[in-house]
Amino acid sequence: MIAPLVLENVTKAFKDGEQYINILQDISFTAEKGKFTAVIGPSGSGKSTFLSIAGALLTPDHGEVFVNSQSIASYKDKQLANVRLTSIGYIFQAANLVPYLKVNEQLKLVAQMKGNWDREAKQWLGQLLESVGLKARAEYYPHQLSGGEKQRVAIARAFMNNPEIILADEPTANLDQARSDEIVALIAREVKEKEKAAVMVTHDESLLKYCDSVYRMEQGKLIKGK
Amino acid sequence: MFSLALKEIHFFKLKYSLIGFILFLMASLVFIVSGLAQGLSNDNIAALEDMAATRFYLQEDAENRLDQSGYIIDELEEEIPRDTGWQPLLTQMYRLDAASSETLLDVTLIPIDPEAFLYPSVIEGEDLNDSDMLEIVVDRTMKADGVNIGDTLYEADQDLTFTVVGFTENQTYRHSPIIYIAETAFYNLDLTPHQVANAIVIEEVNEELQTDIHQTLNDGTWVEKDAIIQAVPGHSSEQMSLMMMIAFLIIIAVFVLAAFFYILTIQKLNQFGVLKAIGAKNLFLVGTTLLQVFCLTVISLILATAFTIFVSNILPEGMPFEFDLSLIASYSIMILIVSLLGSLLSSIRIVKVDPQQAMGRTE
Ligand SMILES: Nc1ncnc2c1ncn2[C@@H]1O[C@H](COP(=O)(O)OP(=O)(O)O)[C@@H](O)[C@H]1O
Ligand SMILES: [Mg+2]
Repeated sequence: MIAPLVLENVTKAFKDGEQYINILQDISFTAEKGKFTAVIGPSGSGKSTFLSIAGALLTPDHGEVFVNSQSIASYKDKQLANVRLTSIGYIFQAANLVPYLKVNEQLKLVAQMKGNWDREAKQWLGQLLESVGLKARAEYYPHQLSGGEKQRVAIARAFMNNPEIILADEPTANLDQARSDEIVALIAREVKEKEKAAVMVTHDESLLKYCDSVYRMEQGKLIKGK
Repeated sequence: MFSLALKEIHFFKLKYSLIGFILFLMASLVFIVSGLAQGLSNDNIAALEDMAATRFYLQEDAENRLDQSGYIIDELEEEIPRDTGWQPLLTQMYRLDAASSETLLDVTLIPIDPEAFLYPSVIEGEDLNDSDMLEIVVDRTMKADGVNIGDTLYEADQDLTFTVVGFTENQTYRHSPIIYIAETAFYNLDLTPHQVANAIVIEEVNEELQTDIHQTLNDGTWVEKDAIIQAVPGHSSEQMSLMMMIAFLIIIAVFVLAAFFYILTIQKLNQFGVLKAIGAKNLFLVGTTLLQVFCLTVISLILATAFTIFVSNILPEGMPFEFDLSLIASYSIMILIVSLLGSLLSSIRIVKVDPQQAMGRTE
């Protein structure tokens, strides 16, 4: 079986003043279908950078990224946008919803951008809202929702185009403990149910119980285990 | 794309209506000033524009101004019959007293052969007859002074009383209405011992006739109507200053609109980053923005046109204002292009947004 997301010998450096600092050093990583992986590590260790490269938002200096066994190294902006639209679902720290769209329109938008807004997609939208428990909120605007509810919409949006990969960067950073548990449990359930390859960055170790495996980011390396 | 653009406008009603309102004001100002330019121009030269004459024979040193040229045409009348295609054009400034008006009315009197090509037909009342009655047809702008058919207008210097029998339209010259009187009646007054004219006009170009007339009068040149219009005192300078105003308005509009759209875009950069991160393409985002600007501008232009119509209706009668839809259409297209260009400028920022910023880097 081919893993949906494979990183091979990825290196990324950023300029800090005069010199370059290697944030990611020769990282290789595989996300398997139906598996929920957590990445932990201190602030500034490069977790978001890692996730950005995995998610076609940032190109590595060296190494390869394979999305569904296609190397995206040579992709242009437009092709990268397509990869993000169809193969990757993001859940950000802030829900990052579009302020002027109702809950159902948030999901509809990504389907429309992909160009497959049809009856099937409409049903799928209903199912997704149902499974994140927001059926009754479909006609609400983001400003009418609580923080947890917004994050649920973001989760549903990430699944809308049925991508193979789900990436979450500290999805619970803005939520209290009870809400955090709820949200991560929800992501875990959806990932299992819909057989996605999921990676979540977090610094809340109490959430690791929902994950299948844990990596630690330290000094540019990704080390398996806590 | 379209629905996204409209939903945003709908959601942020206040913000977008304010921008729309500014657009509306700009457009209204452009329309109204252009209406005034058109009205003033009409007031000054409409009669010349409508005149069924193509070439004018004037004295060389008249600098194309009708009032600076003059001929005694007794000889011409004898040598070349008018039915070869020419007519004399004589304009006289008069100040007339109307019962309905407290002030004297400035008018341009033109004696005319009612059967010839120079005569414009009336739109109301009766046409002139070739008689020696002091009957006149006057431009309908005189209605604003309370003049009606059957009224008399009095000229004090020569103690003349004219009777209005009909109204013409577009017969204004040098900001005053033209009153036409039958030539027979005019010469019957014995104001001049000779047949006189400021210019000789012909309806159609006729080289032979033009040469004949030139050889008879022997002092002057043939010029085109457009040259006569450009030489009407005030015309060029009036039009130029109004055109300057319009040009400046549009230049100001370019900057104001570009600034507005730029600020609007800057405010939304974060959101554009998020949309890009979840897969939106530049074309989609820029297209949505341009579409919003297009909708806003079109709506504002429609409202501004309606407002201009309203203004043209409430302006006092005597105010020279001309509602010209084709002119408004061309200014509308110009404003539309200007605002789209303005928003295109901020689209550069949209293209430059880095989708990675959605990840919310800790810094
Ligand atoms: N675009 C960038 N330009 C320069 N430095 C960056 C950029 N992105 C990240 N960094 C730096 O790389 C390091 C890792 O950042 P990040 O991946 O956001 O860490 P984490 O998510 O683990 O807190 C930080 O020191 C950050 O300042
Ligand atoms: Mg981070």
